[in-house]
Amino acid sequence: MNPVMKFLHKTGSPAYFYWLSGRIIPWLWVVFAVLTTWGLYQAFFVAPSDYQQGESYRIIYIHVPAAWLSMMIYLMMAIFGAIGLIWRIRIAEILAISSAPIGAAFALIALITGAVWGKPTWGTYWVWDARLTSQLVLFFLYLGVMGLHSAIDEPRKAARAAAMLALVGVVNLPIIHYSVEWWNTLHQGTTIKIIGESKMPSSMLFPLLLMAVATKFYFGAALLSRARNRLLDQDRRRGWVAKSIREQRL
Amino acid sequence: MTPTRKKRLTVVLLILLGVSVAAAIAMTALQENLLYFLSPSEVAEQQMPTGRQFRLGGLVKEGSVNRATDSLKIRFRVTDGLKEVEIHYDDILPDLFREGQGIIAIGSLDNNRVFQADEVLAKHDEEYMAPEVADALQKAGHPRASKDSTSVAPSEYKP
Amino acid sequence: MNAFFSLLKRDLLLAVRSRAEALQPLFFLLVVVTLFPLGLGPGPALLAKIAVGVIWIAALLASTLSLDKLFRADFEDGSLEQFLTSGHSLSLLALAKIIAHWLSTGLPIVLFSPLLAIWLNLPHEALPVLVKSLLLGTPIFSLIGAIGAALTVGLRQGGQLLALLIFPLLIPVLILATGAVSAATDNLESSAYLLWMAAYAVLMLTLAPFACAASLRISLS
Repeated sequence: MNPVMKFLHKTGSPAYFYWLSGRIIPWLWVVFAVLTTWGLYQAFFVAPSDYQQGESYRIIYIHVPAAWLSMMIYLMMAIFGAIGLIWRIRIAEILAISSAPIGAAFALIALITGAVWGKPTWGTYWVWDARLTSQLVLFFLYLGVMGLHSAIDEPRKAARAAAMLALVGVVNLPIIHYSVEWWNTLHQGTTIKIIGESKMPSSMLFPLLLMAVATKFYFGAALLSRARNRLLDQDRRRGWVAKSIREQRL
Repeated sequence: MTPTRKKRLTVVLLILLGVSVAAAIAMTALQENLLYFLSPSEVAEQQMPTGRQFRLGGLVKEGSVNRATDSLKIRFRVTDGLKEVEIHYDDILPDLFREGQGIIAIGSLDNNRVFQADEVLAKHDEEYMAPEVADALQKAGHPRASKDSTSVAPSEYKP
Repeated sequence: MNAFFSLLKRDLLLAVRSRAEALQPLFFLLVVVTLFPLGLGPGPALLAKIAVGVIWIAALLASTLSLDKLFRADFEDGSLEQFLTSGHSLSLLALAKIIAHWLSTGLPIVLFSPLLAIWLNLPHEALPVLVKSLLLGTPIFSLIGAIGAALTVGLRQGGQLLALLIFPLLIPVLILATGAVSAATDNLESSAYLLWMAAYAVLMLTLAPFACAASLRISLS
């Protein structure tokens, strides 16, 4: 057996996964808390205000990391799904389906903060801007995965079907993204770029990067916690749970 | 080769074939000139017939905007640096419309080769900078900072 | 390959024998399109402006409506299980069902689209592009829709769930197609849009049968 498969199978054993994730989760929360505190401080007290938008631009420190994360989570979900489908590793299936609600939540956060930001800058809560539209479609894709999962009663089958849908979605995601961008250019006329590429000074960028990293740790912690709960729920009558309780490892 | 292996190989080859055909068509599509709009030069080149609807894109020429005092009527010229087209429009303009701004107009040419627009769309600004920097740039005569745009697309930015 | 053609023939025969049912998507399309002038007023300028969007959205709804039934009958009478255990390539059988679906619902939509275009006052220059875009786009509906149908087969709330699953995936088709037709309306070159649609159709033709077969295996497990 090659080392990769060995690793997958070892971490794929429910008892080991449960034990390992329990050890990791607290550390993820600590890093998340530290980075978020630092990032928010930088974002609201250190970064300068914008020359056009004043203070309202600061919402990007929530909006943008949430949008990035929601896209990354979809990719992660598809990767976990593929591992689960190909090698039939149950932990991977559980990780895939546990990613969906977190991704949907971040997509929703990005949409709401986008709308809140749209009010002072565009004068309206919603504009069919390319990125907002892509984000909305991504949110719907998450809803589809979650909807399919909840419609099937048998947990294993539900997880596999959802993983399959996530895989189909990830193939189409770039196509959807570019077509929406295109559609937008067609309707809003954002293409005329005779001058200029956009820029951001480092004092504004640094807190953004901090927040982007912080949200990834949140995802890690939330994902592992959700996966543990799902695993425990599915396996409540299995031997390893009883054994772990006896050995006081739960 | 065992039958299973043979079958797998066929599947892989079929997928490769399909994906490469798709890629080849996509490459052709990339080479096609995808136009969202015609520039003033292209309008002049193509001898666009009067009365046919098309999209015209370009920058609003500095000092060419001429508004009527008693109505919404407006006349201005768009340029791409080489040629210009006169545009007449009689409706509410987008907030971002100003001289030097990129716009797209939908409409058709009339008999005097004037573009009668039914719709005018403006482009968003994508810049972020601290006010001091903007001031400094403006003092230095940097063209980008001279725009007094107040609207910026929220989700439009690339760090 | 024999199994492929017999299944294709069987599905087409079924469609021909139960004409009323097979023509339902087409009637649905005609009724939906009729509602728009009634709801928005018969002004020719307004109709011309919304024509492409209306035709395409109606085509999307009509296709989805019939996709729900794609595997249902075969699932209920056990034929699907037989396909699975027959030893024939499930992807090939799925492709046969997809092609039969397109021939019985997609193609009639394409053939009737000129009528819809006239009803909605679409400029004449745009008509060939509309037909071409439907010819390229409706197979993509059948291909992607079949994956969704395979995943939801045997579920109680199949229809609505299927719409939720596949509508987001079909957005590119809608955008490219309406882009092509409105470019033609505005006297711009539309071939780039059509080529992109063709590339997308070929890609889906390559991948969808496999995804569909894998989905059927999951659903029947």
